[in-house]
Amino acid sequence: MKLDVVHDLQAVYRKLVDATSRPGTVMDLQREVRALDVQANCLSATILFALTVLDPEVTFKVITKQEETVSRLINQLTYSKSVDVSDADFIFILEDALHEEMEEALNQAKVGNLSNPHESAMIILEVSDVTKGKSMKLSGPGIQGETILNMQNVPNWMAMRNEKNVEFPLGIDMYFLDHQHQLLAIPRTTQIKENGWEIKWDM
Amino acid sequence: MNKSYNFAFFDEGSKREIRRATLKAIAIPGYQVPFASREMPIGRGWGTGGLQLTLSLIGKEDVLKVIDQGSDESVNAVNIKKLVSDTTGIRTTDSTREATLIQSRHRVPEVSLQQDQILILQVPLPEPLRSFEPSEYETKKLHAEREYSGAWLMLFEQIMKYGTMATDADHPVMVHDRYVSAPSPIPRFDNPKLDYSEALILLGAGREKKVYAVPPFTKVTSLAFDDYEFEKESFANRECILCTSKDVFLDELVDQDTGATYFQCNDTSNCLDIVNQKQSLGVK
Repeated sequence: MKLDVVHDLQAVYRKLVDATSRPGTVMDLQREVRALDVQANCLSATILFALTVLDPEVTFKVITKQEETVSRLINQLTYSKSVDVSDADFIFILEDALHEEMEEALNQAKVGNLSNPHESAMIILEVSDVTKGKSMKLSGPGIQGETILNMQNVPNWMAMRNEKNVEFPLGIDMYFLDHQHQLLAIPRTTQIKENGWEIKWDM
Repeated sequence: MNKSYNFAFFDEGSKREIRRATLKAIAIPGYQVPFASREMPIGRGWGTGGLQLTLSLIGKEDVLKVIDQGSDESVNAVNIKKLVSDTTGIRTTDSTREATLIQSRHRVPEVSLQQDQILILQVPLPEPLRSFEPSEYETKKLHAEREYSGAWLMLFEQIMKYGTMATDADHPVMVHDRYVSAPSPIPRFDNPKLDYSEALILLGAGREKKVYAVPPFTKVTSLAFDDYEFEKESFANRECILCTSKDVFLDELVDQDTGATYFQCNDTSNCLDIVNQKQSLGVK
């Protein structure tokens, strides 16, 4: 089966809409991934994500050990250009990225300005599983009361993410993709707490 | 279905552009995200913003309902339904419960919306501060600085002049305690339905090239003062002449022969449902 760029990508987009409007909700991309016949050094879901949002009007950056290969593939598929991380509209952080590289990328990601908060980066982070790991409480727009997030290695990015999002409406929106082709979003409005206390970070 | 057009009328590049703007809009509740607003086969100001959102969202599985001032059968609603179903082949419906996408002009349906539905509102003037600040550059700055005294002053002046807030529709709202937004010209009666709505609400202004959103379960408060509280239109002691509903938005009509005024449901599909239900139960 071959990916249908009209209908399959529409399905991916609707799942992105659902994920963004209901943070922490796990969406399943299996059907669309099965239709994808692209071999890549990243998750298939990442390629789907790129195909859905990228084109020559926007820019991206891939953080991985094999940046050249993956960037070239994404460029060939979407005609979008790879740029410096501080200018990128979409930052893909793959699983093999080092912790320091991820921190550096998050640190440099653009957050928009007060007049144009939409000129901020979207972060796409590959993880092993979005449903297994330490449980965290999410609250904010899109969530009825509170919802539980179980994801691995949350502390890896959480402090940095909270720091980036400290001045709403500025901030970064994060999307998580995993090996089971699942998708989950944590936009800038979502509050993350652990055991009833907000995690503290160094200002 | 007309095969000479791409699915859902747009080329994929146009859809992607609207989709990126929509995702940002959902992430920043109430903030107006600029988008390209393509040329449409209907005139700007006739629902092109809503239509573009609908076309960027719609898939083969969707069921579409379009309403115009509460009616499924007015010219604007019928034409938009025709255009969408002609270029997608999807099914349209009058039933609010059955629809997955609901595009609406000037009303939020009476039947409460569900999690798996998306409400798309057509917006003529997305900028709530425009009435006192003509410059887009300036209003963007006011939003950036959260400087909303102009919006408050507008309501205050109405109270000074008329003794009450005189916004009949499009009463400004505060979304997620950050952005003052125009809820599109829905009656004040519908404003509370935006607050902690179950469904995602997207608002599109085609002529003004803006999309914005109210995610589900998001705080939306209508602007008001402590001593002059926000009030919905009152239909106390009135009921629909057809279905006798009371707690709904009613249109005031005049009987041509007798000159007497009477009231009728504004949401026609809800009214019809109630009448049908009563008849099947044998109630006169």
